[in-house]
Amino acid sequence: MAADERLSAVIVDDHPAVRAGVAHWLSSGTPPIRVAAAGDEVRVAWLGEGAEADVVILDLHLGGPTPALSDLRRLTETGRRVVVYSMRLDDDIALRCLESGALSYLTKAEGAEHLLRATRAAAAGRAYTPPTLAGALAGDRSAHRPVLSARETEVLVEWFQSESKDFVAQRLGISLSTVNSHLERIRIKYALSGREAPTKAALVARAVQDGLVHLDDL
Amino acid sequence: MGEDRAVADHVHPTMRIALLGVAGTVQFGLCLAPLVTHEYRPAWVAVAAFTALALVTATCGAWVVRGRPLPPTVAVVGAVVVLTASPAATAVLPPDGHFRAPDWAFGLVGWHLLLLLLDRVPVLLAALAVNVAAKVAQFLLSGVPERVEVSAAGAVVLSTTSVQLAVVVITRLLRRGARQATEVAAERDRMVTRVAVAEQRERGQRIGFAGQLGVTLPLLADLADGVLDPRDDDTRRRCALAATQLRRLFAENDDVPDPLVHEVTACVDEAERRGVEVSLAVSGTVVPVPTSVRRELTGPVVAALSAARTRARVSVLRTDEEVRVAVVADAGTGVVVGSSPRVEVDSGTYGEHVRVGARWRRTSG
Repeated sequence: MAADERLSAVIVDDHPAVRAGVAHWLSSGTPPIRVAAAGDEVRVAWLGEGAEADVVILDLHLGGPTPALSDLRRLTETGRRVVVYSMRLDDDIALRCLESGALSYLTKAEGAEHLLRATRAAAAGRAYTPPTLAGALAGDRSAHRPVLSARETEVLVEWFQSESKDFVAQRLGISLSTVNSHLERIRIKYALSGREAPTKAALVARAVQDGLVHLDDL
Repeated sequence: MGEDRAVADHVHPTMRIALLGVAGTVQFGLCLAPLVTHEYRPAWVAVAAFTALALVTATCGAWVVRGRPLPPTVAVVGAVVVLTASPAATAVLPPDGHFRAPDWAFGLVGWHLLLLLLDRVPVLLAALAVNVAAKVAQFLLSGVPERVEVSAAGAVVLSTTSVQLAVVVITRLLRRGARQATEVAAERDRMVTRVAVAEQRERGQRIGFAGQLGVTLPLLADLADGVLDPRDDDTRRRCALAATQLRRLFAENDDVPDPLVHEVTACVDEAERRGVEVSLAVSGTVVPVPTSVRRELTGPVVAALSAARTRARVSVLRTDEEVRVAVVADAGTGVVVGSSPRVEVDSGTYGEHVRVGARWRRTSG
């Protein structure tokens, strides 16, 4: 990975202001995340330093109304860890991004904190579920959605409604780490449903390693 | 429609009573005299015909005076008797008696036929035609008539039948008029009812609207009376609540594809106008929510948002089973909200934050 042991990211977004803003957030985080490359086309993630970056932060709407789902698919198929950063709040698109192997889906209304957490989680091969995505999962009405336990659904709904994990823990009378492990388990269930992707397989492997799920559960 | 017919049917009984009087008067007032003064051979046939016609009138009277229509059997038997009596009486006329003073039967039986068949117009016209045809045939068979006799006969036939046909026409016109009048009256009644219903609804809406104004009216009254100080924090909070309630109420009548989110957004706008930083998140697609349920779902949003100081999170979640609306705000104090049988409302205070949630289970309601 990166020579100086710092995490690195490549930013793909067609708005220069967004690229600059995201770059600033990443580099001013603690610890800072190095911006390997930034550009308005997916090409930057495949060439030069961009190809070596740990995480791809991908805007789904690059200069057109159609979401760049095929670009996302190509990246995840080669094992790239992608955080989708979208202008639009669309449950269906969010679910399709997860299906395609994205590790996180954020809307631009969700600020620096969520982006940094999502990027760090993705660099470690972990999923991150911001509140908006939790709402999309809680409201998922698709036929092939995984079966969630009542507790898991409750955690999703509370996280969506409050935007604060401390608050969720307090409300449900559980610890912060339990909230996180519920959210991760939900993402594992989603990773196990639908099409396979190397990132999804890695996510499951990681969860088994962490003891979040047992091999018997699979 | 049934009522229209009932009213229109008053025409027939009334006309029948008149015809009963006409038949009786004509028979005994005009026909009895020629029967007794002229010579008929054999005389009993003429008397029998006269009696039969009188009996037909009397029988009809039994139904007519009670305002009932004649049973079909009575009408048919009566018509047969009348159409038999007429040629019988004509057959025993003295020579050269046709269409003259001794000929009492021809004009009379027309009235009997009218009385019997008033509500069966085609049959009535046929019977009248048979009567005229039989009479004319008998007249022609009694010997070659002279020109004067023919013209006299023509005049009698024409005058008699035209008067009787006029009665048929008048009856029909009266019936049509009565039916139209009934329809007009019914339409006017319907209109009056519609107006009354509309007025009632408007009154209901006005009362309902006043009810939904919530805390606004008492608040305005207290401000006007100087009971409340506008600089007071509590007054400001009450004003914020009233303003949010009004904004929600105005949004309620807008025609939009997603009324619930539209109303929630109106509440959020009002809070943002006060300087509260609000994040609104919507998950799931539009589901139909009745107005009254929306009111109950947004009520807690109004209460919590108007209590928020600097930040609030508003969320709308819709699934196949339920619709959930929640607000987490830094309200400091608790927010009082009422639950209802349809919409579950819960609220709690967690440190600085107040959380209010409303939940409507679609399957149960």
